[in-house]
Amino acid sequence: MATLLSAHGVRKSFGGVEVLHGVDLDAASGSILALLGENGAGKSTLVKILAGDYVPDAGEIEIGGERYSHLTPISARAAGVRMIHQEFQDAPTLSVAENISLGRLPSRRSLVRWRAVRERAQTVLAQMGVDLDPDAQVGSLRVGERQVVEIARALSDQARVLILDEPTAALSQQEVDRLFDFLRRLRDQGTAIIYITHRLDEVHAISDRVQVLRDGFVATEGETSGFDRAALVEAMIGRAAAGVVRPPARAWELGAEPMLELRGAAAEPAFADVTLRVFPGEVVALYGKLGAGSAEVAEAVFGLRKLTAGTMLVGGEAGAASGPAASIGRGVGFVPADRKREAILPVRPVAENVAASSWRLLARFRLLISRRAEARAYRRWHDALSIRSRNDPLQPVATLSGGNQQKVVLARWLERGSPLLVMSEPTRGVDVGARAELYRSMRELASNGVGILVSTSDYEEVVQVADRALVMARGRIVAELEGDAITTSRLLTEAGG
Amino acid sequence: MTVREDSAAAAPPTAPSIVGAARRGPRLRQIAARVPDWAALVVVLAVLVVFFSFKTPYFFNTDNFINILIASAVVGIIACPATMLLIAGQFDLSVGGATALVTAVFAESFTHDRPLIVSILLAVGVGAGIGAVNGFLVTVIGINALITTIGTMGVTRAFAFIETNGQAIGFNGFSTLGVSRPLLNIPWMVWIFVVIVLLTTFSMRATTFGRSLYAIGANPAAARLAGIRTRRVIFAGFVLSGLAVGLTGLLVASQTGQGSGNAATGLEFSAITAVVLGGASLAGGRGSIVGTILGVLVIGVVNNGIVLLNIESFWQDVVRGLLLIVAVAVDRLRLRLAAE
Repeated sequence: MATLLSAHGVRKSFGGVEVLHGVDLDAASGSILALLGENGAGKSTLVKILAGDYVPDAGEIEIGGERYSHLTPISARAAGVRMIHQEFQDAPTLSVAENISLGRLPSRRSLVRWRAVRERAQTVLAQMGVDLDPDAQVGSLRVGERQVVEIARALSDQARVLILDEPTAALSQQEVDRLFDFLRRLRDQGTAIIYITHRLDEVHAISDRVQVLRDGFVATEGETSGFDRAALVEAMIGRAAAGVVRPPARAWELGAEPMLELRGAAAEPAFADVTLRVFPGEVVALYGKLGAGSAEVAEAVFGLRKLTAGTMLVGGEAGAASGPAASIGRGVGFVPADRKREAILPVRPVAENVAASSWRLLARFRLLISRRAEARAYRRWHDALSIRSRNDPLQPVATLSGGNQQKVVLARWLERGSPLLVMSEPTRGVDVGARAELYRSMRELASNGVGILVSTSDYEEVVQVADRALVMARGRIVAELEGDAITTSRLLTEAGG
Repeated sequence: MTVREDSAAAAPPTAPSIVGAARRGPRLRQIAARVPDWAALVVVLAVLVVFFSFKTPYFFNTDNFINILIASAVVGIIACPATMLLIAGQFDLSVGGATALVTAVFAESFTHDRPLIVSILLAVGVGAGIGAVNGFLVTVIGINALITTIGTMGVTRAFAFIETNGQAIGFNGFSTLGVSRPLLNIPWMVWIFVVIVLLTTFSMRATTFGRSLYAIGANPAAARLAGIRTRRVIFAGFVLSGLAVGLTGLLVASQTGQGSGNAATGLEFSAITAVVLGGASLAGGRGSIVGTILGVLVIGVVNNGIVLLNIESFWQDVVRGLLLIVAVAVDRLRLRLAAE
């Protein structure tokens, strides 16, 4: 195992704030390095420097014996460093083969040699051992397949160092397994892989070495086998943490009437025959892998999807709500899975983001809204949810970290006083510390009589937050677990391994 | 640092400026964040005033300032609802053609001896109707606002020519609105402009409707999921733009004493330039009426100065075009800085 890429003493500041304080990193060929850290620990900044997206303020990068004071996207690529971003950088309307050759189509006298394009795609896909139609349109592929195309593009461009930024965020378990298989094969062929994640179970599943960043420093690094879970968590957050623990058993009474009741509900083809009840005071998790239908049930409860069969009662009241505004009127709050695209108003102040669903309630005559009323709404929840911000109601929400943005979205529904809260993947892209705080807030809300339905594909989340868990697979509820019966292994088994 | 509530309430509703704040310390950044986006425009305006005052003796006097206001009123009245629309991420390019159609319909009606009040209501109704059609096409059918209003821009201007048979239809007896000066030697149309500015500023700053427009522009999907009836709000925005068109059509007709297919050419161009110059982002979610008014005044002063300096008036269009490009470039730059 020869070191292929090494960075020494890398420093980087943004706006006068140093986010990397002299970081070293070594990636060896034939080895997978897991780069672990909470959001804001500096891992994205570090790999963006390696990929040539950022210029470091100090430090040196050595790739295959060549020394660089900094890289550009072009020189990084020439040196064989390729990064697979979380957001796909593909051309969805073009074919798989065209995407693999994107930016370097083989041509003769400026005419594209389409046969060579296909051959190149077939070669690399065969080498990777994936069965994908080179003529398929990339936009029509599933998320996992699109990721494979991105990796194929990197490989066919002679990538020696492959950087993956949280590649499993949107993948189903099978897709994750396939990706891991395939990363191992690449490793065995001699590629150096840097794998960024904040999911601890993945570190042991895939990596040979692990490096933990915290607040812009290397907190620890070494052979993965030398660390257990608790040690990694401690390195990430700087203090010992208990790992995946059940919340204390519910000590408060449930309401008598269900807040939400679904009877034989279906929204073909996403889910069918879903019967469930959520009582005031409990957290019910709807666990399923991507595509299992749990996200769609959550959408249906919020009126974003029409039921094709069955009935839904919200607060004992039947009838389908049409659209978000009507659902909110019936007392449903919704925290969408894609925070950036569906929840926050990025350039607007935090106070507005908190008040957005309650403007008419905060306004005089339902029309006249003041900054003062919004600021009050913001302050009501700022401390309760420990939102970390400049404590300035006018600060744009986009300047907050992911976890704090999510707290702002939660505050929006607390301000609204919704008695039923539907949350979809509530802690996706949220770091460990903020995650624990969000779980605590959810439990506290439940103790105050709110009914919470959490749709999630993160089984650790289910264990940490739910009173009751419904497991979904292929659009149906396949199991119901309660209390201490909710364990990661039970969840995984019931969902079909 | 803790911000007291009163200072929070007094701060303008524009999103804090990100330009220039990125590389400074936290204290300075907080102060910079309090400076509204349009502060730079005040400087530009002052520089222009000083420049023209030195260049020509005819510039710096009350009569000329009133002239600038008169010349700015029409663009200003249109630019106010245009700001509301752009803040919500929408455009209305049909305003010029629609204004011409309103003058034509009014002139046709008025010269056929219909009572004045009927002709006025008809004109305003046509304006609001065009706004409603735009709003319907954008929110219900779901056509992009740019394409929709480019389409209605062509259609309305053509109808204005059809209505007038390609001629200007002149009339007498309706000059009060555009010409007479009720107070401080300032004509009605300027006072109307002032009232529109106050009304729209108030609704953008202090009403749930204004907040909804900002929210929709910042993130339409999130605004909808937060319970804002986005289509209804956007529709209302287009109707307001149409009402402003109705009013503007009456002012232009009164001022020129005719209805014509050639009326208000380039109005959409001037309005959008003023709005973008005033700091409203093409990406939506930011901007203010105050900024837009400063943008309108910058254009008004430049046009006026060009005339006073005896430069051919074609240069007005050159300057206006350049201003639009500069304004959009500044917007891009700001977005890029914000993204860092």
